[in-house]
Amino acid sequence: MSLMFAFLKKYRVAAVLALLMMFIELALELLQPFLISKIIDDGVSQKDASTVLLWGGILVGGTVIAFIAGIFSSFYASYASQGLGYDLREALYKRVQSFSYALFSRFSSSSLITRLTNDVTILQDMLFMGLRFMLRMPLLVVGSSVMALIVNVKLGLLLVVGIPVLLLFVIAVMKRAAARFQLVQRRLDKVNNVMQENLTGMRLIRVFVRKHHERKRFEQHSGELMTDTVAALRLTETTMPFILFIMNASIIAVLWFGHRDIMSGSASVGEVVAIINYSMRTMGALSAFSMIVASFSRARASAERMEEVMNASEEELSSRMSASSSPDASTAVSHNNHKDAASGQDISVSQHNGAAATGRQDRIITENKEAAAPGPALHTNDYPVPEQQRGIVFSQVSFKYPGVETPILTDISFTARSGRMTAIMGATGSGKSSLIQLILRLYEANSGHIYLQEQDIQAMSDEQLRGMIGYVPQEIVLFSGTIRDNIAWGSEHASMEEIEAAARMAQIHETIAKLPNGYDTLLGQRGVNLSGGQKQRLSIARALVRRPQILLLDDSTSALDVRTESMLLESISSLSCTTILITQKISSTIRADRVLLLGDGQLIAQGNHEQLLQESELYRQIYASQFGEEEPGRVESIH
Amino acid sequence: MWKVFTDPFRIPRPPAVAAEEPGDTPQRTPAAGKRRRAKDWKGTLARIWNYLSHRRAKLFLVLFMVLLTSALTLLGPYLVGVAIDDFLEQNAGRQWIWFLAGLAVVYLLNSLTSWLQNVWMIEIAQETVYRMRSDLFSHLHRLPIPFFGKRQQGELMSRVTNDIENVSSTLNSSAIQIFSSVLTLIGTLGVMLWLSPLLTLLTFVVVPLMALGMRWITRRTGPLFRERQRNLGELNGYIEETLSGEKIIKAFAQEQRVVGEFGERNDKIRFSGFWAQTISGFIPKLMNGLNNLSFALIAGAGGLLAIRGAITVGVIVIFVEYARQFTRPLNDLANQWNTLLSAIAGAERVFEIMDEDVEESDEQQAVEVKQIRGEVEFCDVSFGYDAGEGRSTLQHISFRAEPGEMIALVGPTGAGKTTLIQLISRFYDADEGIITVDGQDIKQLRRASLREHMAFVLQDSFLFEGTIMDNIRYGRLEATDQEVEQAAVMANADSFICRLPDGYQHHLGRDGGGISQGQRQLLTIARAMLADPAILVLDEATSSIDTVTEIRIQEGLQRLMEGRTSFVIAHRLNTIRSADQILVLRDGQIMEKGSHEQLLEQGGFYSDLFHSQLKVSS
Repeated sequence: MSLMFAFLKKYRVAAVLALLMMFIELALELLQPFLISKIIDDGVSQKDASTVLLWGGILVGGTVIAFIAGIFSSFYASYASQGLGYDLREALYKRVQSFSYALFSRFSSSSLITRLTNDVTILQDMLFMGLRFMLRMPLLVVGSSVMALIVNVKLGLLLVVGIPVLLLFVIAVMKRAAARFQLVQRRLDKVNNVMQENLTGMRLIRVFVRKHHERKRFEQHSGELMTDTVAALRLTETTMPFILFIMNASIIAVLWFGHRDIMSGSASVGEVVAIINYSMRTMGALSAFSMIVASFSRARASAERMEEVMNASEEELSSRMSASSSPDASTAVSHNNHKDAASGQDISVSQHNGAAATGRQDRIITENKEAAAPGPALHTNDYPVPEQQRGIVFSQVSFKYPGVETPILTDISFTARSGRMTAIMGATGSGKSSLIQLILRLYEANSGHIYLQEQDIQAMSDEQLRGMIGYVPQEIVLFSGTIRDNIAWGSEHASMEEIEAAARMAQIHETIAKLPNGYDTLLGQRGVNLSGGQKQRLSIARALVRRPQILLLDDSTSALDVRTESMLLESISSLSCTTILITQKISSTIRADRVLLLGDGQLIAQGNHEQLLQESELYRQIYASQFGEEEPGRVESIH
Repeated sequence: MWKVFTDPFRIPRPPAVAAEEPGDTPQRTPAAGKRRRAKDWKGTLARIWNYLSHRRAKLFLVLFMVLLTSALTLLGPYLVGVAIDDFLEQNAGRQWIWFLAGLAVVYLLNSLTSWLQNVWMIEIAQETVYRMRSDLFSHLHRLPIPFFGKRQQGELMSRVTNDIENVSSTLNSSAIQIFSSVLTLIGTLGVMLWLSPLLTLLTFVVVPLMALGMRWITRRTGPLFRERQRNLGELNGYIEETLSGEKIIKAFAQEQRVVGEFGERNDKIRFSGFWAQTISGFIPKLMNGLNNLSFALIAGAGGLLAIRGAITVGVIVIFVEYARQFTRPLNDLANQWNTLLSAIAGAERVFEIMDEDVEESDEQQAVEVKQIRGEVEFCDVSFGYDAGEGRSTLQHISFRAEPGEMIALVGPTGAGKTTLIQLISRFYDADEGIITVDGQDIKQLRRASLREHMAFVLQDSFLFEGTIMDNIRYGRLEATDQEVEQAAVMANADSFICRLPDGYQHHLGRDGGGISQGQRQLLTIARAMLADPAILVLDEATSSIDTVTEIRIQEGLQRLMEGRTSFVIAHRLNTIRSADQILVLRDGQIMEKGSHEQLLEQGGFYSDLFHSQLKVSS
């Protein structure tokens, strides 16, 4: 809940005003029974019509003021709660966007969506209700008690005595209910997850005719959600009857003792009437209690879930990582090492600057890692970074996914020459895509260094690093919108000419031009009305429009036929940007400046096509798999 | 300084008419009529009632309890009034004790019935919501595939979550309130008329004011709530889309931008939400105000009447309480109005999906197929995705696949290969021409029973969250562990699975959980291998798999394809050399047809393509 109050600060004026207005409204209302007792005792009993009219007039006037105050409180309460919801959503979304990719992957996206929408709405509604009703309730209770005590101390006490009991009961219920609502929200996550899976995998489910299977699965989760919701609400519903019972008991007591006091002359009928009126009001206010208890417990659960996102920290993730990793893997390198490695450039300083400038958490990890590194790590074999070697340099890079034991990449060192194309080949699961993701720093290498244009990528800000790179992922992601939007996504301010140029290079311009709406054609969800190969090329165009210094293509030409692919590679090589291309095709590797052959996370061989044909058995196998057993000599080379 | 006070009033006024316009998403015309129907409140309420009536018996029980509770709630104050008039000022001895004991019983019963009514209602409400959710889920599975191409996934999600949640919370609390409010209203009115017609009339002075106020408010809030739910849907859609594309966002360093775009959508909700909440927030205030007004009127007029001796003090007390009770149900109704309005807006959006036309249900005359030999024939089939735009993706396709034949589809991207197999699976239906399986028009066959005889490896290798074992078993749910492992061995997936820490029990997360794209494809192949179908369709099943592994899988696939009709889409031509027929597609037409040798002899497009792959260089 502290989260809510922290965010509410910004709206404290509106919140306070809303409460104030509500308070005015309430105060005027509370006066009513008092005024009535005046009418009865001073007016009716004395047979004085003018007193009746006077107090009656005051009653009417108070009513009008209360109404106006009520309207204003609605404005302010709604302003504060909608503002809170807005800020929470914004903050959560920003926070999620600031996560490192590794941390992001820890949350399932359906759960994040629920937190960003459903949980925020719950909290927001609670606040709105709170500002208008919920606080009104305790105030009404306190006010009624005080007024009852003023009217008649002894009888008033009868009313007041029950209240602490009620409070204790309500607090106990609320605590238990909050835990149950946590569970309810988690169940909701599950239901949403199945739903999301079904929407994404709809085609597959259809062709395998698994509707009933899926329905069963959905109904199981949905059923659990139902049971737990009922259980949570049933608990909160016990509050109301209990409150009714206690309050009614005190009314009976007031009647009993009131009767005796009237007999003995120490109380008037008007006083008893007023006190009964107050207890009925208190009861009326309290009868909304179960709803309030429910929504408050629920809001508390939701707030906790949001806090989980807000407080999810990169450190925690990295400590989890190092906890699960074996000690030898954490061969972190110290500052001095940077200095030696980076051809005279003082990286450690710029790294500190980077940390100071961005203040981002992942920087802190780097430092933690260094701080934790024992002295001996200094003496690890330095991979010499060739002087004046721009391009991409891997130096003894090892990597495993957070929380996974088996390393994905071990001790990878290579240089991708600037302006040239380096191809990566290797069996399925040999670590090709992971390698590319390390360059982007979607994940951080566990040890070793990666240099881009002579700079350690650790020392660059994400914007700087990723701004240089055009990336085409293996799994095509397009956003809904027009084709133009999707290409321009790579570079927000790209002109139409630039977009077209990128499309031409990606060999997709002609296809787009043939569409009835050309570049303004709308793409459906995930670009369904394009073929796989077309989507791939669109995704390449998106990367090219950035005019990247470095181009990373993760098996992005798999759905292209040889001709299109060859034209594409031709135009890419004319760009002379440093390109890393993951491919399965010899037809691509043959153009590469250098081919890296990965196997089980290790660099098995590297060299150009001819060299590898000579030297690598695996490469010959791959070759044979694509060209049959024919003599390698039949293949003409462009070189 | 004053800004903070006036801020709420600066929020731009809601567009009064904009919300009335139908359609946030492009709709086909036949659905438009239905949509309007879904927008009508009475209709929506009737449908919610339909759902509720599944538990009619329990609902009547709840109604009965509400009746009891209302009666007891009325009885309480009445007895208190009697106590004041008859007992307080005199010594009644035992009678007084009995009276108080009776009052205690009434109160006790009141607690009990109100508890029962709430608990039962919650059960009914949650069951109803469960049923709605299930129905919506099932309905989604009956919708035609093109539907999903046109809708944003997150927006759909929002309907299943946010909108249904809205209905749920309303049914939990509001339904009872509404019942009891109406009942109390009638009851109170009766007692009041009986006690003093004159004071009753005074109480009624405020009713026309209430009616006017309510009309002013509801006219505005209805569209606003609709707008808010729609905006919430849009925001949900945006969140879903960006979160699933998070990798790209990070890789392109576009965080700032998506945060900005998110903000725009967030803004919209803020505005529609603010006005919906503010204006509907007037309702209780209005009710409260008018309530207090009638209170004042009764006290004043009652006082005057009492002076003249027309009524007793007890009557005033009772009346004041009743006036409160009379307006309280109205007040409650008004309070519930908020949630009710937004629930209706939510329910409308849920029903809107349920009103979408399902996959043309030929089910009535469609037949079940028991056995399929696997003879597939296309007769002059044409098809276009956008029927209106006249651009056909496939034109005049005719070919015939004998049972057990392997048909390869080759051609440049966008030639219509995937479209063709989507016609076989009946994701789409041909615009012209007939497709037959074993001589029967597939439109005459039930979709499910047709698909049961087919197995697919689709281009996007979709895996579920769960273990690897479960994912492969998806191909044939009753397969034993051993069979699953056999399929994995055949698909060459076994070796990598065994290297995973938990082997077949390895848990795959939403994004594949440390499994590469190629490995995912291996799993989907294993899944199809397990299915044991008569017709096998492989749409670039091995595109992300390295060629060495591919050759190994090829052996397994060859064995699998024996005796089955198979359709294979592939770019690497040497994987399809052994096909019985190769169909070369280009721009939606079959250009060449024949076996590998025949086509090479023809020296056409295929032979060019084949040689260019061998030649490597351009």
